[in-house]
Amino acid sequence: MTSAGQTFLFDGMAIPFASNETIAMALDRAGIRTFGSGQGSSAGRYFCGIGACQACIVSVDGTRMEACLTPARKGLQVARIASVLP
Amino acid sequence: MTGMEVLVIGGGPAGVSAALEMARGGLNVTLCEQGPRLGGAIHRQPDDPARRLRVPRAQRRRWRTLAEALSMSPVEILCRHMFAGVEGSGAVLLEDRASGRIVTRRPAALVLALGGVERVTPVPGWQLPGVVTVGGLQVMMKSTGRAPEGDILIAGSGPLLLAVAAQLTALGKAPVAVLERSTGPLSLRAVAGLIRAPAYLWEAAGYLSRLIRAGIRLQRGASVRSIAPAGNRLSVTIVDNIGLERRLVVDRVALHDGLLPNGNGTAAAPAGPFTVLAGDCREVLGGVAAIADGRLAGQAVLAKLGLAGSDSAGSAATLQHERRTQSALNTLFDYSGGDAAQLPDDTVICRCEGRTLGQLRALLAADDRVSAREIKLNGRFAMGACQGRFCAEWVAAYVASQRDGQPPQVAEIVGSRWPVKPVSVSAFVERHPSSPSE
Amino acid sequence: MSAAHFLSRAGWQVTVFDSGVVASGATGSADGAVSVASKKPGPLMTLAVAAVRFYERLAETGVLADEFMSRSTFMVAAQPDELDVLESQSAQLEAADVPVRLLKGRALAETVGAAAPAALAAVEVQGEGHAVGYRVVERLRRLGGFTIRRNCRILGLHHAGGRVDGVVTEQGIESFDAVLLAAGLGSMAFLAGPDLIRPRKGQLIVTDRADRDAPRFPGPLMSCRYLVSKGSHPAGNVTEARSLGLVIDPLRTGQFLIGGSREDRDDKDVADADVIASLLRDAVALSPSLAHLRVIRVFAGVRAATRDGMPIVGRVGGADNVWVATGFEGDGICLGPLMGHLCQQMICGQQPEHDISALDAGRFGLTLAEAA
Repeated sequence: MTSAGQTFLFDGMAIPFASNETIAMALDRAGIRTFGSGQGSSAGRYFCGIGACQACIVSVDGTRMEACLTPARKGLQVARIASVLP
Repeated sequence: MTGMEVLVIGGGPAGVSAALEMARGGLNVTLCEQGPRLGGAIHRQPDDPARRLRVPRAQRRRWRTLAEALSMSPVEILCRHMFAGVEGSGAVLLEDRASGRIVTRRPAALVLALGGVERVTPVPGWQLPGVVTVGGLQVMMKSTGRAPEGDILIAGSGPLLLAVAAQLTALGKAPVAVLERSTGPLSLRAVAGLIRAPAYLWEAAGYLSRLIRAGIRLQRGASVRSIAPAGNRLSVTIVDNIGLERRLVVDRVALHDGLLPNGNGTAAAPAGPFTVLAGDCREVLGGVAAIADGRLAGQAVLAKLGLAGSDSAGSAATLQHERRTQSALNTLFDYSGGDAAQLPDDTVICRCEGRTLGQLRALLAADDRVSAREIKLNGRFAMGACQGRFCAEWVAAYVASQRDGQPPQVAEIVGSRWPVKPVSVSAFVERHPSSPSE
Repeated sequence: MSAAHFLSRAGWQVTVFDSGVVASGATGSADGAVSVASKKPGPLMTLAVAAVRFYERLAETGVLADEFMSRSTFMVAAQPDELDVLESQSAQLEAADVPVRLLKGRALAETVGAAAPAALAAVEVQGEGHAVGYRVVERLRRLGGFTIRRNCRILGLHHAGGRVDGVVTEQGIESFDAVLLAAGLGSMAFLAGPDLIRPRKGQLIVTDRADRDAPRFPGPLMSCRYLVSKGSHPAGNVTEARSLGLVIDPLRTGQFLIGGSREDRDDKDVADADVIASLLRDAVALSPSLAHLRVIRVFAGVRAATRDGMPIVGRVGGADNVWVATGFEGDGICLGPLMGHLCQQMICGQQPEHDISALDAGRFGLTLAEAA
């Protein structure tokens, strides 16, 4: 259910989410495909959906975790990771 | 209860089945799942129970049976607990994502039911946002009960392509195209193998008829040559079975070249507990086999701990049957991923560290025969965050194709160190007080 | 590999035998610090100064171009009782002509303050560097000029007419005019002198990349506790079986390498959660921003530690054409290239350009093992 008022913040932008939805699904529905600058030369993004590929890592209240495994919660502070590149 | 504690990692059919078997045998079982809910990839449960993707009835029934048995069992369930590996002194490390702490357990036995990982062979542009695995696309549908937005292209090889294309179609969002790399004709052996498993034929027939009704053509012998950004979309160069190229602009590209056992973290730890692998992480045989294999794993643990389990003959027969079916099915597909010699040097191989095929070719160019370890250290392949899950197997196969003699082993490139997955620094700092101190 | 490089440049035909693959020992599991800061005062510190200058020379002449990065090391005191250690190590470095700068107050805040807000004082040790052990080995391998035989175990030395004239491998006997034993702990298989070199395990951590808005690290931060742990600075019981000392090294990749332990064990393939958690707790206490990162790898390696903490480099007693270079403990990355060069000079019958008499094998009465 996409009940009204349920949002988390992604780089300061309010993102609505449905109950039990993961951060990755909510971002995708909001049209956000790039989740950050990623770890290597390629951008952060949703890829495998099962926490294996590590491509969708975002910062959730200051801790890095897979957006595809992490349930969205009201008021979470989610941020893109802009890694220092070699 | 014997009081002996055992740990199962993975809340898919193999893990649940193993947990049930061991609980019935009198063990104190804890079942850990990395995600927020049990089910694994195959029985992934929807976010909203009212919005559920239609799956074959037999499949739905299998999970219901397991879930009901689990709810009546004394198995302790820990969701959002990531398996971080077995550390040097033999303790099993779990990262509890809810509390942000490392939890340490010392079980009498460990069952690893980590499932499979999709194989995706590299093409230029596969690292772009919008490119997903076919399984990843299916996760989206199973979770949300909706088709993802935008035009979708599905490519690679394997029965999953058909299943996901049909599921998209059922949700009113037929894929723009489905490219199946394989050109091979149906072999007699394959047909004979599949006839023994009418359930699969029934399932496939259902998918195909849905696709035919929707006017979706499966293009055999066609594959993706490269993907490039085109504004907010993706421009895909496709090559067909007679070598003709064409271009298609889509929003998402879903790739899949078969399944591999998820082997990361399954290497034996010297000081660790008695460990058994169950399900697709041992051998990719699918959901039916996973339940039987989980039961066998549970029985192996019970036997090791001197307890009686149920009869294993039925499970062993199921496994054998599924193995025959899978090998018949596999002959219909082409998991080779095409000719690596055609790939340009700037093709990204390791997505985590941005390492390219050109860099791998340079490492192999010398007369001197570099070892797998040197390929890893100097090439930085499998050194990134995914720890080689999406490049090590391909790198090993590529190296083997480039020179004679002993091919490098995937395990030599991946290594066997914990953590199996990256673990937050803060989780160590906040380590559970019950952990043994220095 | 360094000795092979210089010997081949001096006109020798060189074969490197490795029982595994190259860089598979401590070299492949090292932190990459080319640093004088932590060295034991005395000849070792003097040689380390020369070793860093040698790296600079190799980088300038192209041999190690792009593989050596000059930088400062920052010794940090975070506890009042570490201030003494900081001052005395700093004085020793100054006495060895190493440029150091004491950082307190505003200078401290401006340099390491962001990375280590808990620092009470720090000493910047200038003119240090960083080189990744396995990359140095890879560069030397690529420059070539010698043969590498991987997975080829040396079973013993071959004697004829009262002298060593080759090695015995699983594939047979091969003739050589001179033999250099540089096999770390494995070198002892050919030498008499039991328990001379002991395995000393170390564990290290690699994180993922820092965020772009993370605090700036001016260079590696070395906790003064590390000096105590290493035994460079005697502080009571240095003989405990396990000691932890903290070094936080910002890598060129944007990742951090956090070390390390010193444990008198040789189970080199396993890292344990207790040690890793302790190191991370110390690291976060010194640099809180590290808590936002993830551990992507932990690994353990084994150093070859001698009884007196000094390497063994020189001719082996009782044989005029067998040399040894081992026992570098944690200093092999720093000293390796220079020592390879000095070994080449000795093997060519020249006077080594630095005095390494303190490292002579004779101090332990080291001779060839009878079986060898």
